[in-house]
Amino acid sequence: MKKNICISFIFIFSILLSACSLEKDVTDLYKEETPLEAEIIIPASFSANTQETIKAVLTKGGKMVENADFVHFEIWKQDGSLKYSMEQAEEKGNGTYTLSKNFDSDGLYYIKVHASNDDSIIMPQKQFIVGKLSESELEFLQKGIQKKAESHEHHH
Amino acid sequence: METKQPNTSLYRTVWRWHFYAGIIFAPLLIILAVTGSIYLFKPQIEQFLYQDYQAVTPQGDRLPASQQIENVKELYPDAVVTKYHPGENASRSSEVSITSNKESLTIFMDPYTGKSIGELNDEDRIMDKIEEIHGELMAGTLGDRIVELAACWAVVLIVSGLYLWYPKKNQSLSGVLFPRLKKGKHIFRRDLHAVPAFWITAGMLFLIMTGLPWSGFWGNNFQLLATNSGSGYPPSIWTGSAPTSSIKTKDIADVPWAAENLDVPLSDIQGFIPLSIDDVVTIANREDMHPSYSINIPQETEGVYTLSAFPAKAQDEATIHIDQYSGAVLADYRYDHYGLIGKIVAWGITLHKGTQFGLINQIISLLICLGIMFVACSGFYLWWKRKPKKSLGAPKAPQIKNIKLFLFLLIGLGILFPLVGLSLIVVWLIDWLIIKKISAVKNFLNA
Repeated sequence: MKKNICISFIFIFSILLSACSLEKDVTDLYKEETPLEAEIIIPASFSANTQETIKAVLTKGGKMVENADFVHFEIWKQDGSLKYSMEQAEEKGNGTYTLSKNFDSDGLYYIKVHASNDDSIIMPQKQFIVGKLSESELEFLQKGIQKKAESHEHHH
Repeated sequence: METKQPNTSLYRTVWRWHFYAGIIFAPLLIILAVTGSIYLFKPQIEQFLYQDYQAVTPQGDRLPASQQIENVKELYPDAVVTKYHPGENASRSSEVSITSNKESLTIFMDPYTGKSIGELNDEDRIMDKIEEIHGELMAGTLGDRIVELAACWAVVLIVSGLYLWYPKKNQSLSGVLFPRLKKGKHIFRRDLHAVPAFWITAGMLFLIMTGLPWSGFWGNNFQLLATNSGSGYPPSIWTGSAPTSSIKTKDIADVPWAAENLDVPLSDIQGFIPLSIDDVVTIANREDMHPSYSINIPQETEGVYTLSAFPAKAQDEATIHIDQYSGAVLADYRYDHYGLIGKIVAWGITLHKGTQFGLINQIISLLICLGIMFVACSGFYLWWKRKPKKSLGAPKAPQIKNIKLFLFLLIGLGILFPLVGLSLIVVWLIDWLIIKKISAVKNFLNA
């Protein structure tokens, strides 16, 4: 009898121990969000004295977002020499929103897209380069990585 | 024995188990009750200990979080910033958590001047030490399992104790609800244990059952089952990982390594960059986070910013995960989104910690803790006084096979609390392989 008890106990433990891991789609059982997603398309090359168009393609739950509540673009240069403040982007259909600007000066740029639709608000920002980087911009970029590299060492 | 006790084998068996479990686990229960009593008053104690770090004089506008963190980075150049906690009101400092030289520090910042008020090594937080003793006897996983075992066996003590206490026929309320003062030392000693024990039973069971869900083995598995069933905490609050950003790694901006030349293609430098923490603070305010929230700062490219608030009251709890590149809310779990079991556990935790109802909650819990200490001590005293000189004084062991009901109860508890089951197997093995085979031990233990 004792043996049987032992065996059945061990059996129950192995079930209890093995049964317990979180199921993959467990998030489906709780409140879920369908966040807005944005793809920001920067022109592959910039030429002087022409307006270049930046695009944002908005999707939500895999569907293109038409008539978004708002889509604003904010563009600036890292060295502070240029700043286009928030401007409404133009809707081109099929989830695409665009803004055209002059990018005559070379350097490191940033764009931040402020977009909202159905309670989901996003503000992704992207870094891009027009022409060549100046030395100070290169240095700025490298400082960022130095900090990160140090922090990773300590993290492990 | 002068007291008349029913001499059935069931009564003796229960008594024997209560006796051994009591002797082994009473010291642990005393440790838990003492540390618990102190930890209950954590808010007041920390308020007193760290008032110099926490109080600031409001003057003008607060500096943005990013500026405060930048100042901390200047003071601790090789530190990793892991967490930011804005002060919950205008006269509270903000706290920046960092890890530096493998130590976890909290830097208290004056948000108005941007100056550091002081640093606190997490190792030096006295309440964290108390919590460590309470939760794992400062012995890591092994300690955690021992505490859990003590808690589970305390349930066995309660059940067996109630059986022993249960009034016999024609017994008046004295000796049941009140101690008998004039019936001699033996009876008074018994009543000194059994009567208060009955009075604190409900409270003790409550503290055990609300404490168990945070234990490492039973608690973790319980939480997993609850979360998997859809009625527990949503994933990532207790078990499971946070959602990840939908942005692909290749779309994230890389940074050049070497100073002289670009050693990564230009196209890799272009890409998404993480949001500033100021944007995250803006999102927290927009989403109406409880003011006691903290922001966990992602350390990996695929990580998320996590806002979390676990204030005094369970119904104010909130956890929000934010995509570090787009600022999208990937998950927003409030108390209302917990499943039923999750809500019960959340309430259990705040009641157990004594924060849910403030001072009155703390006082009631303190009384239960004092009761546990008293009952554990009086039980020990009862045994010490009754103990014969040359043996342990355990009640005689009947053949356990003859007591089916008790056996099933034990097996039931062993299944519900696998650690109890595991310890039962160990007890049986010791009994079977050692005690029964060596007559000196057998006599000493009265087996």
